[in-house]
Amino acid sequence: MAVRALTRGLLGFRYSRAATVASPCGGHHYVTAPSAKPPQPQAGDVTEKILNQPLEKADFFRVAELFSLKDLFDARVHLGHKKGCRHRLMEPYLYGCRLDHDIINLDQTMEHLQLALNFTAHIAYRGGIILFVSRRRQFGHLVETTAKDCGEYAHTRYWQGGLLTNANIQYGPGVRLPDLIIFLSTLNNVFQQHVGIRDAAKMNIPTVGVVDSNCNPSLVTYPVPGNDDTPAAVELYCRLFKMTINRAKDRRKQMELIHVLPVNFLKARQMFT
Amino acid sequence: MAGSRLERFGTVFTRVRDLIRSGVIKPKEKPLWYDVYKTFPPKRAPLHVKPVTSPSAKKQEIVPEIFYSEDKIRTGFYEQYGRGLRALDLSKSNFVSTCQRFVDKYRELKSHGMLDKSSLFEETGKALLKEGIILRRRGAPPVLAESRDPVLDLKLIDMLAEQQSAGTDTTKTTEDKNS
Repeated sequence: MAVRALTRGLLGFRYSRAATVASPCGGHHYVTAPSAKPPQPQAGDVTEKILNQPLEKADFFRVAELFSLKDLFDARVHLGHKKGCRHRLMEPYLYGCRLDHDIINLDQTMEHLQLALNFTAHIAYRGGIILFVSRRRQFGHLVETTAKDCGEYAHTRYWQGGLLTNANIQYGPGVRLPDLIIFLSTLNNVFQQHVGIRDAAKMNIPTVGVVDSNCNPSLVTYPVPGNDDTPAAVELYCRLFKMTINRAKDRRKQMELIHVLPVNFLKARQMFT
Repeated sequence: MAGSRLERFGTVFTRVRDLIRSGVIKPKEKPLWYDVYKTFPPKRAPLHVKPVTSPSAKKQEIVPEIFYSEDKIRTGFYEQYGRGLRALDLSKSNFVSTCQRFVDKYRELKSHGMLDKSSLFEETGKALLKEGIILRRRGAPPVLAESRDPVLDLKLIDMLAEQQSAGTDTTKTTEDKNS
């Protein structure tokens, strides 16, 4: 499987077409030696090994260490909206209702957050494009800086109708769409579900989303039930996503160094004998 | 690349899986996230749920109300003493409010053996006063620092009546003086 290295746009707010660059392990440029010698490990095998090794462990990137239940509680992630605003599909994720205030079940949030972070880490490890979306103007700058810090993309402005579904015409032919979309808030400014969730489902793009007690979690691939209004909570989410993505990318570089160096060495030796 | 835009039919994964199975998407063109999703699926498949339009029945409370046994003590406290003098500071996680101190003291006294509810209330109030927390009963008139200025109680009609009577007196005196 070819590794797709990407050239990231400088602005970071649009996704540009990935030019085919020589993959880091140089798989395309080697010529296999005649069969007198025992078959050397192909570059393709190494890439596959790099890609599949993390899938064998449950928590390869150890994302569960990044947060604890107390951190979630202190960041007020458990506070939902009032009973009248409750979405019927969020009822399984609620712990209870204290004087008409919905309280989100943090045990469930822990599990969902762990799954979501793990998925994000694996996508970042494989060099996928991640798009952060949030229509909350209060946190627009925070989301954009988070995306910039992990080398990914953000879209916190007005979502044009054909952004994903009509991308080939709006951005030119052969655009590469994001491989994961992370919603820091699944609602838009008029308290309706963000168009991006439905569009991502249409374009077969998985989504990770923070769903509050007034949101619809049904179409989000990896929902994370939690508060999306408090600054402390949103800062926590941004920090967690940034740390996972950076961790995953660093790990990828490490794995390439570990696995590719011996292969290069063997190839070099083979070339000179 | 081939795709299926039916977001209300199956999940993202099932659609891509079926497209691969049928050969529309070649194994080489498999999306990046496919293997990861297969190994770590979410807890609930992200199927689209049709919104319930009919307002019929259901209405069963699945979300429980959260109440604690101390709530009874708290209601008693708020009924008697109103909102409390000290404001709640929610930014600190270890903050103890006046009501919470009342509750703790109440439970302490109860554990010592007192059983009567009203006497417990009295005792708790006294104990807190001893510790220095002032509790003001709700409905009691607010205590004034200084008494009302007697000038404010004067009415205009009385003042005019006084002035008129004073005026007749002065004319009388001036007449006496002149004569």
